[in-house]
Amino acid sequence: MPLTRRDFIKITGTGLGATLASGALLSPAQAEGDGPPPDDFAILYDSSKCIGCRACQMACKRWNELPSEPDSALGIYDTPQGLSDSTWTLIKLNKRSEDDWHFFNYQCMHCTDAACVTVCPSSALFKDERGFVALDHDKCIGCGYCTRFCPYGVPHLRTENLLTGSAKAFKCTFCEDRVWGGLGGPFCAETCPTGALVWGQRGDLLDTAKGRVSGLQQQGMTSARLYGETEAGGLHRLSIMFDEPGQYNLPSDPQSPGTARAWQKIIQPLGEVVFGATIVAALGAFLVARRNVRMEGVE
Amino acid sequence: MSLRLRGENAVVQIRWIPKYTAVERLLHWVHAATFIPLVLTGFAIFASWLAPIAQGPAGLHIRLIHRVAAVFFGGVPILYTILQPHRLALHVREFLTFSKYDVLWLKAALPYYVFGRHEDMPPQPRFNTGERLNALVLVMGTLTFGITGLAMWFLRDVMSPGLFQALVIIHDLMFVATTAMFMIHFYLAVVHPLMWQSLVSMRYGVVSESYARKHHAMWYYGEKRAKEMWEKQHGGQ
Repeated sequence: MPLTRRDFIKITGTGLGATLASGALLSPAQAEGDGPPPDDFAILYDSSKCIGCRACQMACKRWNELPSEPDSALGIYDTPQGLSDSTWTLIKLNKRSEDDWHFFNYQCMHCTDAACVTVCPSSALFKDERGFVALDHDKCIGCGYCTRFCPYGVPHLRTENLLTGSAKAFKCTFCEDRVWGGLGGPFCAETCPTGALVWGQRGDLLDTAKGRVSGLQQQGMTSARLYGETEAGGLHRLSIMFDEPGQYNLPSDPQSPGTARAWQKIIQPLGEVVFGATIVAALGAFLVARRNVRMEGVE
Repeated sequence: MSLRLRGENAVVQIRWIPKYTAVERLLHWVHAATFIPLVLTGFAIFASWLAPIAQGPAGLHIRLIHRVAAVFFGGVPILYTILQPHRLALHVREFLTFSKYDVLWLKAALPYYVFGRHEDMPPQPRFNTGERLNALVLVMGTLTFGITGLAMWFLRDVMSPGLFQALVIIHDLMFVATTAMFMIHFYLAVVHPLMWQSLVSMRYGVVSESYARKHHAMWYYGEKRAKEMWEKQHGGQ
């Protein structure tokens, strides 16, 4: 059967569209297949060393001058119940039974493929040159996209006025001011008395974490595992945990949502091409029309 | 109504036919005046390369202007529904009525609007095919912007992330569609050398009899007669 011109255009267009769409929807990590550089900065949290003292939580509040959060007294390890605009680091108790419990530290995972950075329209959220996800509050316009695209639900808005939309997003910044001010690393890691939270170069922390997991497994804790080596392109907050990520309310295969990439890599360029093409077509049509139309003969 | 041409003694008699009510014209201009800031502020947030001007206090003001303009933009159709419901019903019925003459119009539109060849333009009712398509896109856009915009404004923290993400995508796709349609509408209504009467009609509410006869024959002559004239001229095309 001969191929008509229409069929050819259909097949070519479909193939080209599918190729572009599939490429654009791949996360950078999927597309490149590499993790972050080993000399990136990262935090390692070892749940097996954590005693739940919450020094990290207090250190974060103190360094970043975050206010306390009045809440119902539900229990020592149940308040506050989650991360918020004024709680950027939180220790929670993971109690599986009366004699099987441990703590877990929640904070920004500083993804390599960071959805919050992808969708931020003001570039307030950005990847620091050392890999972690920093936030410039002066640039933030409070749109809240980061709060709804982050697979971990980490950024939170502090809304001043719902009607006007006046708000700012907040989250762990890896204590960027300390890092670049030469004061040390993230204050949570600097403060931790047991070494459950440490910071350093990601490559070194990965080696440490793998050795630690191996040791825990040899001691009979066969479900011990490392979380963050490859997730979301490689996290800059690595975690040693005792169970499936789901047991800690963490996604087992977190990724920057396809919608974030579709928005930035398909819809935004599409819009700009459509607007540009429309303006050029209108301008061209106007020039031709002006030449061809005899105004005096036309009503 | 008579019109004296400058520099000539002749008096040209022009009969003007009402097309839009005063309320429709006023609301049209309010809609246009709010749509433009909506597009500009929306584009500043939409285009990532414009991030430098959408940061900090400027960005907060951009979002505020977007919201204020959106309230007025959404208020126009509500006000129109309250003030002139019968006119609205009439328009909606017209907007949703399509025939083979619309296909012929689409085929003839490019030669006409670019090269000025009017002979193949089929008879049209009060709103031609392009105007009706523009209106449909705008109606769908206003509804979509209203639903997605209000939900993102007030319900962001209570809806699921997946739903919020879908709303952002829908809002932006509709932004692309309506803005492209607006550009075409602006070009044809304001810039195009042939279409000056459409701007006059939205300013004074009237079009000339000769314009109505030529461009909206179904409205001027009535549908049956206009079709008969067309079929006779074009041999039952």
